[in-house]
Amino acid sequence: MRVGMPHMGNVYIPFKALFQRLNVDLVIPPVNNQRTLSLGVRYSPEGLCIPFKLTLGNLIEATELGADTLIMPAGYGTCRLGYYAKTQEQILRELGHNFEMIQVGISEQKLFGILGMIKRLSNNASWYKIISAFRFGIAKLNALDRIEQVVHKVRPLERIKGTANRLFVKAVKAIDEVDDYSTLKKVQRDYIDQLNQVPKDTETPPLIVGITGEFYVVLEPFSNLDVESELGKLGVEVRRTTFVSEWTKFSLFLNPLGMDEKDRIHKAAQPYLKRDIGGDGWESVGEKVLHAKKYDGLVHLAPFTCMPEIIAQNIMTSTKETIPVLTILCDEQLAKPGMLTRLEAFVDLLERKRRISNNNR
Amino acid sequence: MEAYLGIDVGSVTTKFALLNKYSELITDLYMLTQGKPIEMVQQGLHQIKQQLPKDVDICGVATTGSARYLAGVIVGADLVKNEITSHAVATLQYAPQAQTIIEIGGQDSKIIIIRDGVVIDFGMNTVCAAGTGSFLDHQALRLNMSIEEFSQRALTSKTPVRIAGRCTVFAESDMIHKQQMGHRTEDILYGLCQALVRNYLNNVGLGKEIKPPIVFQGGVAFNQAIVKALQEELGSEIIVPPHHEVMGAIGTALLVHEESLNNSNGSKFKGFGISEITYHTSSFICNACPNQCEIAQLSIDSQILARWGGRCDLWERSPSSQNKEIE
Repeated sequence: MRVGMPHMGNVYIPFKALFQRLNVDLVIPPVNNQRTLSLGVRYSPEGLCIPFKLTLGNLIEATELGADTLIMPAGYGTCRLGYYAKTQEQILRELGHNFEMIQVGISEQKLFGILGMIKRLSNNASWYKIISAFRFGIAKLNALDRIEQVVHKVRPLERIKGTANRLFVKAVKAIDEVDDYSTLKKVQRDYIDQLNQVPKDTETPPLIVGITGEFYVVLEPFSNLDVESELGKLGVEVRRTTFVSEWTKFSLFLNPLGMDEKDRIHKAAQPYLKRDIGGDGWESVGEKVLHAKKYDGLVHLAPFTCMPEIIAQNIMTSTKETIPVLTILCDEQLAKPGMLTRLEAFVDLLERKRRISNNNR
Repeated sequence: MEAYLGIDVGSVTTKFALLNKYSELITDLYMLTQGKPIEMVQQGLHQIKQQLPKDVDICGVATTGSARYLAGVIVGADLVKNEITSHAVATLQYAPQAQTIIEIGGQDSKIIIIRDGVVIDFGMNTVCAAGTGSFLDHQALRLNMSIEEFSQRALTSKTPVRIAGRCTVFAESDMIHKQQMGHRTEDILYGLCQALVRNYLNNVGLGKEIKPPIVFQGGVAFNQAIVKALQEELGSEIIVPPHHEVMGAIGTALLVHEESLNNSNGSKFKGFGISEITYHTSSFICNACPNQCEIAQLSIDSQILARWGGRCDLWERSPSSQNKEIE
């Protein structure tokens, strides 16, 4: 049995660590690239969103590499994502691929669903072994996210643009390669130190822009044309609340105990939107309200044709908490020059605004 | 005499504006890009040089528009600025009280919201080019008339027909339908203008508070019929500033002037002589990763001036030293 799965940012690294420890043969398709996108676009219904198209491309590339068992998240109440695994399965079968599709319920089964799936894939490994492998995967996930948070802070200040990005690429590779907790800890510390030592122009504190929007396009840089990195180049520090490690922590462990990090966000959205509208629309509205005071601006990422985010976008233009919001619709038509023009103008706007408010103080 | 040059290379037109140090326009130039941005920048410089008073000293050059990086490398720009900021700066120079700027160009349209002289919000058409100059051009061509004639004819309409303006494709089929039903050409033309205005306000202007004074600029502001349709739809006077078609160029010139005050190094302008140089452009596919980016490069003889187009900055970093590193 060879297991294939779609990409989302660096999530393949914790999964690789987990499956390696359980001797599951994991096929990792090439990270998202132009070919993945072209394949996905060619075989997808046109009106579907970029997360569908890219993950389909990943699954096709995984089967090309010999995967015979495919994992794809599914679930109710989220958005059309609930049907994606089934639709992709059908498309892949029509293309003549032979495989078993495993849907992972991310909304109903959560932790037990995921552990159950791992148990099955690992050929009934002992629970002790599964839990310890799972823990190690999570440790890698946490390390990746901790380092990325530092990268967000260093990017806008670095003297030589691109230094933090190059260090991050190395860090990701190093984390992928380590096989024990103590080395992992050391690698994490090393890279955070190195990042903090990157020569900086520390004269002015950077503008702070929050990143919100749909989960996948926020977390997959290929789909948003590296928006965070581009903002960094323009001298902006990005902050986001969406990290896979956070999602895992709450969604798998703390939510069942009654703790929900989203309560705060949902409460903030209450005056404008009282209920979940699928996807991450509710959260986008809430984050706008919450961040209005703290940040200089907000970049709202949404897949083209994403209903929840379009609703959120329309609500966000009319809240009484005001903060400049730039909505970027991500799909295969999104071109870098157009996006850069908007980002540049957005940052100019924020800078002029800050200058004026500083003068008035 | 100190002078500052702004160059706006857009998808359809290339604009030049030369300002003196009192921010007054010395001369301007408006030409079609015709898909040849480099040649047009060279030609434009050549023409500007001919119109130049004798004692002019170019103290700063800036570029804007969708080909701003390319143009910036060619002329040796001191500043490369996006078109949104440039337009806002220029408008505020001519109409300091402006609260809304409507800009419709060849392939994009923007709205800029200003309060107390500061840009507080902007919108730009996203996935759709409906309601931009290129579409009007296309329809004028289809009806076998010049774009100037289009505007004159449309203004004579008394009973405009309703045209679906949601999408250019539907607008076009709707127009043909109305034509075949026997509606008068001028009524169809003005109906189209109204549809474009509705489309603009529903898309680009979505959720924006459009307050007067409203300034309308960009190439499409030449079209009096669109001005009239905007006026009717917004129920407010629309100001079309003089030189509205070169506002982007004026804006960058103003910005580079402002910047030169804090910078005593002098301009990087390569001089008017560059209109004589032959530039080569070429492109190749980078094979460093599976992304297969199309990298474009600009060179004189065998010396590479700039490269761009990659997802990462592999080729953009110091282009001249890259040859050794990669090949």
